[in-house]
Amino acid sequence: MIFLDQWISWLPALSPGLGVSLSLTGLCLLFGMPLGLLLALMLEGPVKPLRVVALVVVEVGRGAPALVLLYLLYFGLPEGGVTLSAFATGVISLSWTTGAYASELFRSGLAAVPAGQREAAITSGLRGWSGFRYIILPQAIRISTPPLASLGVTIFQTSSLAFVIAVPELMSKAYALGSITFEYLSVFALTSVLYGSITLVALAFVRLAEQRLSRHL
Amino acid sequence: MLAQIASGIGLTVVITGASLLIGALLGLPLVAARRSAWVPLRTLATAYIDIVRAIPPITWLFLIYFGLPQYALRLDSVSASIIGFSVIASAYMAETYRSGLLSIPQGQWEAATALGMKFLPRTRYVITPQAFKVTLPAIAAYAIALLKDSALASTIGVHEITYQAGLVSRATHQGLLAFSIAGLLYIAMSIPLALAARRVDRVLRQKLEVA
Amino acid sequence: MELATERTASPPTVGGVKVLGLHKSYGKHAVLHDVNLDMAEGEVVSIIGPSGAGKSTFLRCLNYLEVPTAGTVTIGDTTVDAATRRPDRASLDRLRRVTGMVFQNFNLFPHLTVLENITLPQMKVLGRSREEANAVADSLLNRVGLAAKSDQHPARLSGGQQQRIAIARALALSPKVMLFDEPTSALDPELGLEVLAVMRNLADEGMTMIVVTHEMHFARDVSDRVMVMADGRVLELGPSEQVMTAPTHERTKKFLRAVLDR
Repeated sequence: MIFLDQWISWLPALSPGLGVSLSLTGLCLLFGMPLGLLLALMLEGPVKPLRVVALVVVEVGRGAPALVLLYLLYFGLPEGGVTLSAFATGVISLSWTTGAYASELFRSGLAAVPAGQREAAITSGLRGWSGFRYIILPQAIRISTPPLASLGVTIFQTSSLAFVIAVPELMSKAYALGSITFEYLSVFALTSVLYGSITLVALAFVRLAEQRLSRHL
Repeated sequence: MLAQIASGIGLTVVITGASLLIGALLGLPLVAARRSAWVPLRTLATAYIDIVRAIPPITWLFLIYFGLPQYALRLDSVSASIIGFSVIASAYMAETYRSGLLSIPQGQWEAATALGMKFLPRTRYVITPQAFKVTLPAIAAYAIALLKDSALASTIGVHEITYQAGLVSRATHQGLLAFSIAGLLYIAMSIPLALAARRVDRVLRQKLEVA
Repeated sequence: MELATERTASPPTVGGVKVLGLHKSYGKHAVLHDVNLDMAEGEVVSIIGPSGAGKSTFLRCLNYLEVPTAGTVTIGDTTVDAATRRPDRASLDRLRRVTGMVFQNFNLFPHLTVLENITLPQMKVLGRSREEANAVADSLLNRVGLAAKSDQHPARLSGGQQQRIAIARALALSPKVMLFDEPTSALDPELGLEVLAVMRNLADEGMTMIVVTHEMHFARDVSDRVMVMADGRVLELGPSEQVMTAPTHERTKKFLRAVLDR
């Protein structure tokens, strides 16, 4: 198969892009997941102004397409006097998207903790924040972990959008390669294979981890 | 400014609507294949669904829009977008149908079969009505997701909302405002969908409460 | 307990049930081993035995909801031989046409009203007109005492009511043989009594019935014969009074002791 040789010869050109995609994803998860937890806590918490702020952040983060948010920050930040690299802008924007979706998953997780747990915590003397921190929250996080992991895989796919704000990730390398070789079909097919195989492997891991985790629940 | 960005709404709706419709239709034979007893067909369908969903939408679009012309299949950006999103939608819809079918108790099939109902009447009068009620909320949720994904069509030059916002941004150097408007438009468009879905869901749930 | 009025079962005629050498295995694991049954039209046979004996599996082989590995099933003038690798559609359809099945979980169609549950199969399977189907449904609903509920959805009814509707639904297709798969196991004892009463009436009217059940009183009082199964085999098959009070197998004695001396 001729194209396999072609593909192998292209890998060195594409791999830096893949590296950027992966580090972009990694950073977004690193910032986005805790952000999601914070937003969920703000939304479920007693302080009204915090609830409102969190609501806006989440609804915009989830309601607007990730692409639009990318453009928004890319063009908007400089207008506000903040100049950041494209990569940094990408991280901030995608972390926003990640956090918005993650917050919903955390909230579902919190709701899924059996009501009896709250009562057990109170009657054991763990009221308020302690009860929440040591009894409710850990269980909520454990319940949310599989869907959060799937979200992580989705964010890897979404990182492909950073291409439009000139982040040198996989799609941008692929497009550049295509413009040079004019073998667009082959190049994007290889790109698809790269994204697809990493996604499928990651999802398989998630499913495996889910099975292992549910044994203890 | 609002007027120009809003002028993209038409194409956004067309791409979302057409892709959803085609995807919903293609999803039917796909889920049948996915549940088939014949292993080769089932494997093929499962592979199609898993692989399509594992590839980022933007890569699909570029594959179709830039890649196909090499083989003399030059498509305009709108068609390419619709084809790309339809393929993706068909995979997601097939999975949605599958979840819906799985949630119907096995006993329904058995009762219908024991009564002598054959495949078509059974599927049409017993299974589909029940599956439909269960999957409708999921379909509505996917419709909203597809609406947001349609923004990607701007990258291959479709003059929809995001593209228009980009034009305005470049012309007026007011990107923050332009894309804020675009974002709000998407959010606004998803609200009626979400509300309608919630209302339909509530009505169907009342009718279908199992003791 | 007094004996139920003796019904004279007609001599073996064309309308009966005949099962020869029924086997069923899942791979190496055999769940049914050489089960035979010869029933006359109008007979009522109860199948009892410990859980996992294969009673339900046997019943479900009769209308081919389960496919036996070997053996023949004859109902009326329709015979299906498990030896034919893929029995033709027509035979299976005929088999299901002449049998009616009542499930432990009722399996009513939740999205249809009670009336529609009974009329839909008539129209789609037998091709009856809506008027005909409605007439049959109304008469059956009266028979099971639920005419007032015809426009309700199953979810609003009690388990006992749902099961009686399920019986009506099966009867609407005029089956020759009615198969009952633990019809009262999912019901409170009180609700179960309503269902058993309907089944008793059905038996008195001469319906051929095979009932897998844990209701020992029904087995003894209403059935003509009782089949005791354990581990996929038939331990006993004989007149109900005889099997229930003076069984031959030790295993049967053990089972009956456990079940009857509560």
